[in-house]
Amino acid sequence: MIYVKDLSKTFGDNQVISHIDAHIRPGEKVVIVGPSGSGKSTFLRCLNLLELPTSGSITFDGQEITAPHGDINHIRQHMGMVFQHFNLFANLTVKKNIMLAPVQLKLMTKEQAAEEAMRLLRLVNLEDKADSYPVQLSGGQKQRIAIVRSLAMKPKVMLFDEPTSALDPEMVGEVLELMKRLADDGMTMVVVTHEMGFAREVATRVLFMDEGVIKEENTPGEFFSNPKDVRLREFLSKVL
Amino acid sequence: MESIKSGFYQTFILDNNYQYFIRGIGITLLVTVFALVLGLALGVLVAIIRSAHDQQPKNKRGIILRVLNLLCKVYLTVIRGTPMMVQLLIMWFVVWASSRATDGNMVRCAVLSFGINSGAYVAEIVRSGIMSIDKGQMEAGRSLGLSYVKTMRFIIIPQAFKNVLPALGNELITLLKETSIVTVIGLKDLTKGAMIIAANTYQALVPYVAIAAIYLAMVMLLTWLLGIMERRLRKSDIR
Repeated sequence: MIYVKDLSKTFGDNQVISHIDAHIRPGEKVVIVGPSGSGKSTFLRCLNLLELPTSGSITFDGQEITAPHGDINHIRQHMGMVFQHFNLFANLTVKKNIMLAPVQLKLMTKEQAAEEAMRLLRLVNLEDKADSYPVQLSGGQKQRIAIVRSLAMKPKVMLFDEPTSALDPEMVGEVLELMKRLADDGMTMVVVTHEMGFAREVATRVLFMDEGVIKEENTPGEFFSNPKDVRLREFLSKVL
Repeated sequence: MESIKSGFYQTFILDNNYQYFIRGIGITLLVTVFALVLGLALGVLVAIIRSAHDQQPKNKRGIILRVLNLLCKVYLTVIRGTPMMVQLLIMWFVVWASSRATDGNMVRCAVLSFGINSGAYVAEIVRSGIMSIDKGQMEAGRSLGLSYVKTMRFIIIPQAFKNVLPALGNELITLLKETSIVTVIGLKDLTKGAMIIAANTYQALVPYVAIAAIYLAMVMLLTWLLGIMERRLRKSDIR
């Protein structure tokens, strides 16, 4: 589904990602872990071109998204993204947050989008917040709405950039639980996270990134019980 | 006391002089409103071009965007670097030199001059508003597949506008008062009306204090209206 070939990204003199190759298959749940500054967020943000790769290519569903004149807006419609800081549109109500993109991109009429928004809000038990503004919500509520806002576009893959890192500990659970449900429904997911429990339980494959390269990738069982890379062992001993 | 009374009589009643004030207010408001609309349109356009240029990574800036950005920069430098009155004089005595001195021509000239002038200040105000919005808002919009322009229009500009409303209000008040310099091209606005009455009646106190009061009243009315607008826009901030 997503082929990454020889991807590199530099900020000035700082090489954040160097020559990464990866392949994400339909239905996979890939979890990326690693110490901070390892380039895992940058890698994820390259997948939908929020960061422009310095070199290398990314192909999504047969279209090369790194091609010079590719229609990135069209490709992004099929790639949902969830951010660490939620990024709900502060000037719109919850319902309008969800409706904006499908309506503006002419995928649904206003009525259809409103109906879909309410269906999604019921899914996360937040239908009573439909007319609230983001500032009136808790972090966990915001993140669950950010997730369903992406779902309203019916994406083929969802990218999660540390979705629980900015949450109070007691709200982490409700967001992870929603992500698990998504995983069970067969969504293709790429998740950057520090939640090792989630990685162990939900991932079909875990990637360890360090210094801009993928140092190790394996099934969660092998990854956690039998790590081979030295840096990974060190990392796991600190976080587990 | 007697002299103030006769001052009032000569300023307002004699020869239907109050007409000067009525028409003057009309002209002042006319110039202000149209200049405001023009200034806002110009300002927002320039602000978007400038911030689009600055937000784009260096290697992705198109040639058109670079040229537009350069034009905007020249516009801002020239307009903010020269006095409003000089701009108005150039506009009327150079650009409009061949047209007759009718009220219509003078109003059009004044609207254009003040609109262009105000646009430069509005541009920087709006740009500061755009810059103040968290870049996550733009990223969220783009990640859903919305174009840069659509994200700007539905997400960034509404929030930026709300943040800069007090500064824009300031600009509007300045604009309203600054229109008094249209007297230099002979347009009969509120200030010119008072000058004419003062010249005809040899009264200075009443006509000038009167227009001061009228300007003050208009500014207070504006401030009040802006306050209502601000409260309405703050709806999304109430916890």
